[in-house]
Amino acid sequence: MKVLIIALARNNQINPNLANVLTAAHKISSVCDVLVLGAADLSKVTSYSGITSIYHAANLTSNDLLASNLTESLANIAKGYTHVLMASDSAGKDLLPRVAGFLDMGQISDVLAISSPNIFKKPMYAGNIIAEVESFDEIKFLTIRTICFDAVASSGNAAVVNKELLVDTDNKIQFVSEKLSVIETVGLASAKRIVSGGRSLGSKESFDEVIGGFAVKIGAAIGASKAAVEAGYANNDCQVGQTGKIVAPELYIAVGVSGAVQHIAGMKDSKKVLAINNDPNAQIFEYADYGYVGDLFEVIPEIMRGL
Amino acid sequence: MKVLVAAKRVVDPNVRVRVKADHSNVEIEHSKMSLNPFDENAIEEAVRLKEKGLVTEIVALSIGTIKSEETLRTALARGCDRAILVESNENYEPLNIAKIFAHIAKEEKPDLILLGKQAIDDDANQMAQMLAGKLNLPQVTCASSLDVNGNSIRVVREIDAGNETLEINLPAVISADLVLNEPRFIKLPQLMMAKKKPIEKKLAADLGLDLSAHSRLISVTDGEVKKQCKFLTNLNDVVNVIKANGV
Ligand SMILES: Cc1cc2nc3c(=O)[nH]c(=O)nc-3n(C[C@H](O)[C@H](O)[C@H](O)COP(=O)(O)OP(=O)(O)OC[C@H]3O[C@@H](n4cnc5c(N)ncnc54)[C@H](O)[C@@H]3O)c2cc1C
Repeated sequence: MKVLIIALARNNQINPNLANVLTAAHKISSVCDVLVLGAADLSKVTSYSGITSIYHAANLTSNDLLASNLTESLANIAKGYTHVLMASDSAGKDLLPRVAGFLDMGQISDVLAISSPNIFKKPMYAGNIIAEVESFDEIKFLTIRTICFDAVASSGNAAVVNKELLVDTDNKIQFVSEKLSVIETVGLASAKRIVSGGRSLGSKESFDEVIGGFAVKIGAAIGASKAAVEAGYANNDCQVGQTGKIVAPELYIAVGVSGAVQHIAGMKDSKKVLAINNDPNAQIFEYADYGYVGDLFEVIPEIMRGL
Repeated sequence: MKVLVAAKRVVDPNVRVRVKADHSNVEIEHSKMSLNPFDENAIEEAVRLKEKGLVTEIVALSIGTIKSEETLRTALARGCDRAILVESNENYEPLNIAKIFAHIAKEEKPDLILLGKQAIDDDANQMAQMLAGKLNLPQVTCASSLDVNGNSIRVVREIDAGNETLEINLPAVISADLVLNEPRFIKLPQLMMAKKKPIEKKLAADLGLDLSAHSRLISVTDGEVKKQCKFLTNLNDVVNVIKANGV
């Protein structure tokens, strides 16, 4: 058994969720290589425990890093492994199925648990159902739901091997630009505290003032329901849920969010949930540890005064 | 420009699915079924491009049991011109769906293949990517806007940290995010008109493809975690819950 984890650099950074993917990899094998694509500061990565070798293909442009351009070279590298893992984030979801399909192999998305090297658990139906599946493929391609695995310890000291990666850029696709969000929402997936607002905020101004103000006060990241995102109160990358981010902070505060199954799908693994809603029958309370029934526009300022 | 869109039949998003007593699968025989919401976005986008005069024909493809004909009628009512049903009683995994899709794409030769980024039953988010990999076509997943310029499309793709803009040359595969557009309501006349549009039927078994399983479902369990909510009536207690988290 030999595992490869692929990690893409963005802005010279490697997503710290790599440490969680490593824990998943160690449930499969102790032989575990990491392939980093793109220029990045690897000082953190080298300290992660249990990495056999780190291969670094630093000389790649944003264009090279597109899934369409990486597929063939990664498919060739994958052939040297029994398992190829990526975090189930926007890079992993984009790239791994394509490489698997190119090799005529299946892929398992959002792995929550590893029962054996070929049996995995994954969510279906917005997480209402957990399926256990067996893969018959020669190489298992898995995207890992990182909130379900702890981060490895930082006691490692893996060596970095530079790697040349020949990327086939045939100009069928070009990277034009990227627009990254403001700092406070970037960390949503790894935040310790999240304040989420829903449609009930009524306007972008109230959302920024009430949810934004509250989040700053308690050092939380900002989340939102799809209804709030669709209404333009919050950025799309703040959306929590089946089609947004999957989060598991220590404290999740849902403010004026009804608790639709698709929203619950993204936050039900939070350690503690506090729900504030003016409807005592709101579904969100069924998934909350603590509830307060009241008008958010009165309740939130009051809470902030008490902190 | 010719567009091939996907139309998967799935359990309606408002239905709570249940696990079968023997845990072999979910109980969906009597559930309300719908067109996958993400495919609705893909179809809506294709129809809007047609209304702008940028698309000449929209072909909808569904792979499933004969009941998927109903789903294709919805796709036709939404503005697709014709439909293809590849019939099978197998519950194929995304890889095999991608193979069937690739087979039809080779026959139909669309300039653009537009699909939902995921289906709300298995939530896999794989098919568009596998299809693009198989056809060796460029892909953009999770698209939130398309701007067609002749033979290329400028696509905004939603990513965890924000979004990125990519320029993709046709032929290409694009998967739709829910934010791509707001699908329109369909009215009775469109439903009536859809009845007259053609649905071509093929059997998956007749396509000459290797559709053997690459995985198997062992069992399913209920993933719901309901909690016992402690209702607080004093805001001081709410403040203390937050403080207990280290604030
Ligand atoms: C395919 C699909 C995917 C989806 N994916 C997602 C997803 O990823 N994430 C997501 O969130 N949703 C998703 N949805 C949408 C989801 O079904 C709900 O529509 C959405 O979550 C509702 O958002 P909301 O709770 O803000 O709004 P509403 O359901 O309108 O709820 C508003 C809540 O605010 C409360 N309220 C109103 N005024 C006040 C006040 N003054 N003080 C306190 N409380 C107040 C109300 O009692 C109510 O509970 C998806 C839907 C589909 C079909």
